[in-house]
Amino acid sequence: MKLILTNAGSYPRIGDAPELQRHRRAYAQWERKEIGEAAFRKVEDEVTAEVIREQIVAGVELPTDGQIRWYDPYSHFARGLEGVEVNGLLRLFDTNFYFRQPVVTGPIRRRRSILVSEYEFARTVSSRPVKPVLTGPYSLARGSILEGGYQSFTALVFAYAEVASEEVTDLAAAGASVIQVDEPAILGHPEDAALLHEALALLSRAKGSASLVLHVSFGDAAPLYADLQGLPVDVLSLDFTYSSKLPRLIAEVGAFKPLGLGVIDGRNTRLETPETVFPVLDEVLPKLPTEWGYLGPSCGLEFLPRERARAKLETMRRLRDAYLGGHA
Amino acid sequence: MSREKLRALGLTLPLLPTSTVGSFPKPPELAEARTRFARNQIALSELEALEKKATEFWVRTQEEIGLDVLVDGEQYRGDMVAYFAELMEGFQVGGLVRSYGNRYYHKPVITGAVKWPGPLTVSWWKWTQGLTTKPVKGMVTGPYTTMDWSFNDYYPTRRAACLALAREIRKEVEALIGAGAKIVQIDEPAISVRPEELPFAIEAMHVVTDGLPAYFITHACYGAFETIYPDMLGFPVDNLDLAISNSALDLLRIFEKDPFTKDLSLGVLDVHSHTIEQVGQVKERVMRGVRVLPPDRLWVDPDCGLKTRTVEEAIEKMQAMVVAVRDVRQAVGNAGR
Repeated sequence: MKLILTNAGSYPRIGDAPELQRHRRAYAQWERKEIGEAAFRKVEDEVTAEVIREQIVAGVELPTDGQIRWYDPYSHFARGLEGVEVNGLLRLFDTNFYFRQPVVTGPIRRRRSILVSEYEFARTVSSRPVKPVLTGPYSLARGSILEGGYQSFTALVFAYAEVASEEVTDLAAAGASVIQVDEPAILGHPEDAALLHEALALLSRAKGSASLVLHVSFGDAAPLYADLQGLPVDVLSLDFTYSSKLPRLIAEVGAFKPLGLGVIDGRNTRLETPETVFPVLDEVLPKLPTEWGYLGPSCGLEFLPRERARAKLETMRRLRDAYLGGHA
Repeated sequence: MSREKLRALGLTLPLLPTSTVGSFPKPPELAEARTRFARNQIALSELEALEKKATEFWVRTQEEIGLDVLVDGEQYRGDMVAYFAELMEGFQVGGLVRSYGNRYYHKPVITGAVKWPGPLTVSWWKWTQGLTTKPVKGMVTGPYTTMDWSFNDYYPTRRAACLALAREIRKEVEALIGAGAKIVQIDEPAISVRPEELPFAIEAMHVVTDGLPAYFITHACYGAFETIYPDMLGFPVDNLDLAISNSALDLLRIFEKDPFTKDLSLGVLDVHSHTIEQVGQVKERVMRGVRVLPPDRLWVDPDCGLKTRTVEEAIEKMQAMVVAVRDVRQAVGNAGR
């Protein structure tokens, strides 16, 4: 059994030490127009390279670019689309993080590829393959206000799915072998599982030889687990922090897809121990249909202070090595 | 029922009492002084003098506007959770976490057993009540929200952290009541986001309020009706304060299905908008409540703390609210005759 260590998405862009606050200072200078666009983008590049390195040094085998350039998971896409404006702040699920809400006013079209240049940069500064992450069409639609251009929520989901599948095509063509799609909003709307299925089918057709990972977080995946197993994706990645019943359920029902195990709590500072992680692995790993799975945080790590994010990744590697060493 | 409780506590309030949720904007000179104090550029006594000056300004302003139940305006508090976390034992200041854009804050971390160190807000409450004959609310942040907005390195579960906090927060509530507070507001804005945790949030509120002689109010936030009604009626408090300013909810339909059993504070001002509400607009929002509950069970307030508005915006919004409520009182009073 192989457990590939990955990150679920974001990574803290600053730390508490003054030398780790370069991004925050540059952002403020850029907002005050004391530095230009190019100078700020250069700092974003440097910090992206820095957090990729930090993930790899901590043991991550499939890092992300940390989403250093993202204002948030919703408006980052909205800003790259025609027919979508960006509105006021809204709380992201049960976090203390706020995103700017997209407002859909007309037909949605990509102005250009949104993630490819970010992915290509990340690849050049990473010694390991990088996993691009996109916010899925269902969650984008759930987070948006629909003012025009589409007659229904369902039509909006498919419009977002159309542009998301173009992104997937471009990312695969640029060399991404693993592409993650985040659909946290589905956990609060189990009645829409069939709609999610149809939307993801568009992305699946666009992926070429890349592997598509679906990640769901910020909620209990257990009630929807059977439906999630049937979705047209290659890997199902789950947040284990909201449900104590999920490992047992997987042990009982089994798994037909490789799983991503989000057992490292990306929302709390307390570091995991063998006592909390090993019982989950004991239940779930024997059920995997493959000789491998992903091990990662339950969600992006930006909800933690920087030093704790790094400590979480280091803990994850230690636990993985100890577990597999003891179960070889 | 709650009117009787208010009377028993010696409080006579008009129909549709007006109040506010807690925080008011800090005058620019106080905001600047807080920054300078954080940089060790001024003494604590200098900061406190400005905090008292600002508090007195807000007490006079609330009286002039004609509000019925006053608050101290939280001029001495920053964040509603961090303020208590920094003073209670068992917490440490955490590292920086982003809240949006380029905004970061220090999220508190529970690193040991939480412990009430002695009165936290009582001297401010007493000082403020000494400035006015109107009742001043005691204001504390509830155990569920304090737990949810902190990291937890110490307690085995979120429930355990929440209940431990509840036992300590009760001591602050007892101290406020001991000092003379008759109305105590325990804020739980975090509660509507994880409905599955409502049972232990209610259990924690029992720990805080059971058997204590005060009129208790709990302020929740946007979305509470959608996610935790009617279960939220289980909170052992007298009054639930809920936002309706921006909501198109059909209260009548909701209450027909599940009757509202407590007093209701109608949050009728949108604190996140710069626009000053028209009196007619506020009246319509108050009437939405009057149509579904007896007016002697309704209070009126903004839908959240006003601290993010300018001083002028906050005052003008409250003025519109008080004028609207006077009109409604007259209409309701006449109809009753």
